Amino acid sequence: MARKVFMIGRDEIPASVSLGAGEKLDWTLVCLPGTSAVVDLAISLDGPGAELDLAGLYLCPGSENVRMNVSVCHNSGGCISHQLFKGIVGGTARAEFDGLIYVARDAQKTKAYQQSHSILLSAGAWAESKPQLEIYADDVECSHGATTGFLGENELFYMRSRGIPEKDARRLQIISFLSPVLERLPEELRDDIISEC
Amino acid sequence: MNNSLLEIKDLRAGIEGKEILKGVDLSIGRGQVHAIMGPNGAGKSTLSAVLTGRPDYKVTEGSIEYDGRNLLEMTPEERSWAGIFLSFQYPVEIPGVSITNFMKTAINARRKAQGLPEMKPAEFLKLLKEKMAFVQMKGEFAKREVNVGFSGGEKKRNEIFQMAMLEPTLGILDETDSGLDVDALKIVADGVNSLRSPERSFIIITHYQKLLEYIRPDVVHVLKEGRIVRTGGPELADRIWQEGFDGIDG
Ligand SMILES: Nc1ncnc2c1ncn2[C@@H]1O[C@H](COP(=O)(O)OP(=O)(O)OP(=O)(O)O)[C@@H](O)[C@H]1O
Ligand SMILES: [Mg+2]
Repeated sequence: MARKVFMIGRDEIPASVSLGAGEKLDWTLVCLPGTSAVVDLAISLDGPGAELDLAGLYLCPGSENVRMNVSVCHNSGGCISHQLFKGIVGGTARAEFDGLIYVARDAQKTKAYQQSHSILLSAGAWAESKPQLEIYADDVECSHGATTGFLGENELFYMRSRGIPEKDARRLQIISFLSPVLERLPEELRDDIISEC
Repeated sequence: MNNSLLEIKDLRAGIEGKEILKGVDLSIGRGQVHAIMGPNGAGKSTLSAVLTGRPDYKVTEGSIEYDGRNLLEMTPEERSWAGIFLSFQYPVEIPGVSITNFMKTAINARRKAQGLPEMKPAEFLKLLKEKMAFVQMKGEFAKREVNVGFSGGEKKRNEIFQMAMLEPTLGILDETDSGLDVDALKIVADGVNSLRSPERSFIIITHYQKLLEYIRPDVVHVLKEGRIVRTGGPELADRIWQEGFDGIDG
């Protein structure tokens, strides 16, 4: 299956998807500023060799309220899932990522990875990542990471010491933080997002 | 124009409420190279952090005059525009930002501050290529993300490349020589020596006298426990190398 990009709040996102043997899914969910939404997405890997590559990006600089409930179920063994979510949350916006990884008892040789990171731009912003793992098989490679933080002071100072003003340095930092997801987008959309940062 | 570029007087500074520099006096003339040596934890990097305006370091007393201006009132970017450059002891990784984009942003920010138009892309690329060749960095580094996945030596080389691009009036090298092989050491020395001029000055922080054989300093200082305890000529560096810091007290 080809790459697909969904604009949250505009495109219909299927609530559930099942991947059969050898099927591949490569999706990117994008939530642009000004959009509040709840996204419920359940993906199950139901045949050996199925692969999921899922990424998400949410930009909430104002008063948005975004919730993503993503569950990835490895019902069959020998499947791979990658998830990468990145968010920028400012103003009084709220963003929440709930990510469940479920690995059934017979789903041996599963590989499941999940990363969700957000950056807060203001004291009034709120973001939370809640990874949940339910793993019943024993031969599994699984990792997850979740962070919520402010922009790094070391990077900021390094750039300022080269003469890049604080505002521009922060912008570069945001772009660099988002870049692993931005890379997945068509050039035009990527440029639009970068120019809005 | 007076002949002193940097005047540090009775500088006391620290971090998180802990005083690290305990009254530093240092005067650097235009065109001079000063070496600063001293044991681990003496406060050498603290001094370079204060000179470049790192926000988490607080100056509690004293003054710093740079090129006739009160340095302590300037932001880090203003100091850079005024010609101060620090080669970091621990260069920072900036994922997602290429060296090309990083340097283009830096150079054009300074030009903007000076009221100049942006550098033409062709002119910029020519400069970039020329300076990369000068520090013997392979062309493919132009596209690499700043310091991400670089070896220790490559990071230091990247600092010298940036110095060559920005052509500072006051270059501060904080242990740029640590962990470098002989060839890379010579590149660092060439980087400094090629910029040496009657207007430019350097502060070379180092633990080794090797670099100072390639970059002959005019003055050598020993910083110990937050104070400069000894100042001398290049021979002081040789003596420290042979005898260590123990015998060197004010
Ligand atoms: N955030 C901090 N909080 C408390 N003390 C600190 C902090 N950062 C640095 N220091 C202390 O300040 C002192 C001076 O550190 P500095 O990095 O300036 O030393 P240095 O002379 O550069 O040493 P080296 O040769 O090892 O690079 C050290 O004792 C160090 O532990
Ligand atoms: Mg140091």
